[in-house]
Amino acid sequence: MLLLRSLVVSNLLLICLSACTWMYTPGDTVDNSTQSLLVDGWHPEQPIPFSHQKHVVQNQIDCEYCHSAARRSNSAGVPSLNTCMGCHKVVKTDSPHIQKIADHFARNEPIAWVKVNDLPDFVHFSHKVHVNATNPDGTPQLKCQTCHGEIQGNLVADQWAPLQMVWCINCHNQVKVPAQNGHPAITNAPVSCNTCHF
Amino acid sequence: MSKAGSEPQKTMKKASKDQDSFYVDAEERLETLRGPKEEEAVSAALLPSVHRRDFMKLFSVGAAASAAACVRRPAEKIIPYASQPIDYTPGKPFHYATTCGGCAAGCGMMVKTRDGRPTKIEGNKEHPLNRGGMCALGQAEIQGLYHPERLDGPMQRTGAAWQKTEWQKALKTIAAKLKTSKKVGIITRGSTGSRHKFFREVLVRLGAKESNLYTWEANALYSTVGRAHKLAFGHETIPRYRFSKAEVVVAIGSDFLVSGLSPVEHSKDFARRRGSTRRSYLAQFESHTTLTGAKADDRYVIPPGFELTVALLLLRSLYENQASKGSSSTRSEIEKILAEHREKLEKAYAQLNFSRNDFDALATKVLAKPTIIIAGSGANFDSNASLLQLAVILCNELAGSYGETLHIDNMWVNSPVRSGDLKRFVADAPDLDALFVIDTDPVFSAPSQWQVKEAIARIATVVSIQPFPVDTGKLAHFALPSHHNLEAWGDEHPNAGLWSLRQPTVRPTRHSWQAEDIMLWLLAYVDKPLPFKNYHAYLQRQMEAVYDLVKPSIPFPVFMKVVQRTGFTLKLTKRSRSFVTSVSKYFSKLKEPASGLVLMTYLDHRLVDGRGAHLPVLQEIGDALTSIAWDTWVALNPHTMHKMGIRRNELLTIKGPGGVVEAAAYPLPGLHPNSVVIPRGNGHTDDRSTISNNNGVNPLAAIGYDLDPLTEEPVSSGQRVSIATTKRWHRLAAMQKADDDLQGRNDIIKTMSLDRLQHKKRLKKSLDDVPDLFPKLESAQYRWGMSVDLDKCSGCGACMAACAIENNIPQVGREQILMGREMHWIRLDRYFRKDLNEPEISVQPVMCQQCNHAPCEAVCPVLATTHDPEGINSMTYNRCVGTRYCANACPYKVRRFNWWTYRWGEIGNKERDRNPRPTNPDVTVRTKGVMEKCSFCLQRLHEVKNKAKLAKRHVYDGEVKTACQQTCPMDAIKFGNLNDSTSLITKKRSDPRAYLVLGGEPEHGHYGLKTLPNVNYLAKISLKEVASEHGEDKHGGGH
Repeated sequence: MLLLRSLVVSNLLLICLSACTWMYTPGDTVDNSTQSLLVDGWHPEQPIPFSHQKHVVQNQIDCEYCHSAARRSNSAGVPSLNTCMGCHKVVKTDSPHIQKIADHFARNEPIAWVKVNDLPDFVHFSHKVHVNATNPDGTPQLKCQTCHGEIQGNLVADQWAPLQMVWCINCHNQVKVPAQNGHPAITNAPVSCNTCHF
Repeated sequence: MSKAGSEPQKTMKKASKDQDSFYVDAEERLETLRGPKEEEAVSAALLPSVHRRDFMKLFSVGAAASAAACVRRPAEKIIPYASQPIDYTPGKPFHYATTCGGCAAGCGMMVKTRDGRPTKIEGNKEHPLNRGGMCALGQAEIQGLYHPERLDGPMQRTGAAWQKTEWQKALKTIAAKLKTSKKVGIITRGSTGSRHKFFREVLVRLGAKESNLYTWEANALYSTVGRAHKLAFGHETIPRYRFSKAEVVVAIGSDFLVSGLSPVEHSKDFARRRGSTRRSYLAQFESHTTLTGAKADDRYVIPPGFELTVALLLLRSLYENQASKGSSSTRSEIEKILAEHREKLEKAYAQLNFSRNDFDALATKVLAKPTIIIAGSGANFDSNASLLQLAVILCNELAGSYGETLHIDNMWVNSPVRSGDLKRFVADAPDLDALFVIDTDPVFSAPSQWQVKEAIARIATVVSIQPFPVDTGKLAHFALPSHHNLEAWGDEHPNAGLWSLRQPTVRPTRHSWQAEDIMLWLLAYVDKPLPFKNYHAYLQRQMEAVYDLVKPSIPFPVFMKVVQRTGFTLKLTKRSRSFVTSVSKYFSKLKEPASGLVLMTYLDHRLVDGRGAHLPVLQEIGDALTSIAWDTWVALNPHTMHKMGIRRNELLTIKGPGGVVEAAAYPLPGLHPNSVVIPRGNGHTDDRSTISNNNGVNPLAAIGYDLDPLTEEPVSSGQRVSIATTKRWHRLAAMQKADDDLQGRNDIIKTMSLDRLQHKKRLKKSLDDVPDLFPKLESAQYRWGMSVDLDKCSGCGACMAACAIENNIPQVGREQILMGREMHWIRLDRYFRKDLNEPEISVQPVMCQQCNHAPCEAVCPVLATTHDPEGINSMTYNRCVGTRYCANACPYKVRRFNWWTYRWGEIGNKERDRNPRPTNPDVTVRTKGVMEKCSFCLQRLHEVKNKAKLAKRHVYDGEVKTACQQTCPMDAIKFGNLNDSTSLITKKRSDPRAYLVLGGEPEHGHYGLKTLPNVNYLAKISLKEVASEHGEDKHGGGH
């Protein structure tokens, strides 16, 4: 009897253990390790140690100068090298990192950055809808920092939000979309499954 | 009219059974056709033989191994441009207007590209031909582009061994051979663009004659219609058919809706006169069951080869009718023809089992209203094919169709081929020293008795220039990969005054070259260059000539930009015409139709002459009438099969004058008892592609050498054959199974008579007015609904192809289909009704019905399928644990389970790895163990909803188009917001023909399953009174 019970338990354990990678396909698994990574953060090494702090805080460059697609497209986009070279043709050309960028630009070879905020492939997120959400007085409802934290102070870009569903839903349950254009106010942002999963 | 070839009713198992009920397969009516039990066991052998204990062991090992690997998933990379194009926004697609190259019709298409890669093809809604529609072949081109079995770089053959070589080296070697060649030829496919002109210039430059360009299209309609018009009117053109103007259409063995001259254009036009009281009348005479025949109001079965006889009988009745038109010279020609064949025609009434009055009645109908008489399809290219067209021209003259519904003097259609070229080629071949085979496959698509293979094999230097390897390429000494249609420059000139441009939508994905550029390089190497840098420059020169004709008020470079943006340019073109020559003399060449069993090899609308055979999406959408995928079948009349003792899936040998082919039998209702019908397209044996290799048979092997005397095109039908059984079985992968799955449920497919429709303006009761105990649904801004018009749907399968490509639906291969594991989110069901010889055929596309009271939602233990406030039954893949309860609960059987993680972008060794294309990044790729189904194209819906939200407005009516709706050549599918009382979809839902599948008879208080689908169907319209009519005051069938 004991043997049988231990068998059942061990099998159950195995099933639980295997759940995260059993049907593994890159990009398709639920990343259950994100939460634990929040202890020390997820800030992978990038090909060029780009500092948001230097650009945003010190030099007062707007987020959307580089992430110009955030307002227009589902993805915010990482700037192409010609955006960098707009300034760095003349600014700090003696830095080896800038020289690397200039070198890549001259060879027309892109730089492969490491994705920091990586949603699973079964989640569809649209930047433009969030960036353009407004209060009744026309002010933006959300700032970049609402989801990306104090990214402007980062020396290395890191993942601030856990990007777990509960984190999304918390916000969607609270934020009210105000009455506009004759439509009644919507109590919450949409929370039906197919808002993100399709 | 009376019936042809009726079989004694005593063989009918259920002769007493309600003749008016629907059936899925002939076996339901004729029990003897059912295949044996053993053969059903094939599927059991395919299942893995792993015992439960072994499975547990294996599972434990796998689990232990994977437990250690529970770490963060691999970091993904973001690769922005080095230098971003100025109008590019990351994440937003580009659309390119270009021209389809699937057939010679020249439809315009919009190619959606993401980061430089085409992901979806849609019809160009501005294009005057297809107006947004696209057939399955056009949709599937995306798979052709990414097909892993395309050649990557030139190949050279020495003996039987193929070796890779360098481009310049290959070209220099070919050029050296060309220098010593005296006679050079080019054989290529039909095209209406500048391509043929360019090749002619190349040939002249090489010292050959212009006539050394041979054009070859297996669809001989182009040449027969073109030649007949040449004989009658002096111009080798094809008329522009305006089905939207025709109130009566008489089709004689024609399949114009799916495989005629320009199927999408004709479908779009024809559909405008379907689904309303302004409906046109379609009569079809055919010996083979076609999808066009299925749409006919009166479908008359005639013996194979009697199409010309029917045309002449109609001509006679028209001629003798007082109301007929036509000039005196035309009438005297007709007089002569009728006099010459008077005896034959007198006898023909009895042979056809028609009376003279029947034809007189039809003639009266034809003369009363604007008419089109159209003839010929892939099934009757017999030796009378051109005479049939001539007879039809005369009928149309008498009916006064020219100038009304047929135009040969105003924006007429250009013929893409020159008729008789294959005969000339075979005759010229012994003299040729060098041959270029460009984008065509005559060895496969011409009957083998024509000895094309032998003719090509004797030529000293053969260069095959193809976007995809073909059977002819095996005979070549050099195989040079050319650009796919989506990578190439080009143009089509489908109508006089319509120029359609083809432009690259992607950088070449292989080391391939544009076919025309290869010729320019060769000319340079033989020191006879043409003054063009590349073919693009040549095309620019051609467009300059167009610019001079169109005379726009903009400079040429701007004009080119505009053409590239819109995809085409137009200029109203007219000419005068008259009935010139005497045609009666040709009718002395009339041949008697063959008696006994007659073989008809027709061009399947998906695979055509074999050019679609390497595209899995086309193989898997299956044939709508038989529902068979991935195979070649022999369709026979069920009674003929019964008489010969043949059962379904029995392998038969068909012995024709040209040879023997072997294929499995399928009892297809509606065939003439003498018809033996085999589709073309499959049967490649030349290691062309894993997809097409050893899949089915090529029926042309049985066809003997014969030609149509007027066009000299090879005959592919109408020859007498004998059938013998091999006593072996081959299980055809039919997706609709031979069991009575209707079980008398008449609320699945409904019919309504035109009379009734005219008296009924709207539904008595809303479809949503169903009493139930559930709480009322919350009212949201939108409630999405779909409506499918069964009076329009032709069953072409374009929706299935579009859906598969839009929604990342894998193709699973024959093996999986035999186990019932196909993955279509939208499928085509077809039902027969009435007699096996003269059935009434209905086609019904079925997708997820998006029930408001969905049985699947209630049974899901993990809430993976839920209802959203906008009425969509949504599927959350990452929640699904694969219990498959929902699939069992679904009464519509639209849920599909992923039995495997299907691999993408490759063709594997396994039969199920059949997905040579990239995925749509907007749609989740599902993995093993997950259930999936139609999502109403949520990704498209969200895109439009977000756009509207940002512009602070509602979604416009018609702004969202699902993939199936967008591509539908018949405009049968409509989609929109049901909460908007003014929307089109609301109108469709309150249409008198509207009904819900399995929704009972609401007018009599029967509500069926009460699933309350958001998808409604519109009943098929019948001209006759229908016994179990939709909305009839007496009770319908059981529930």
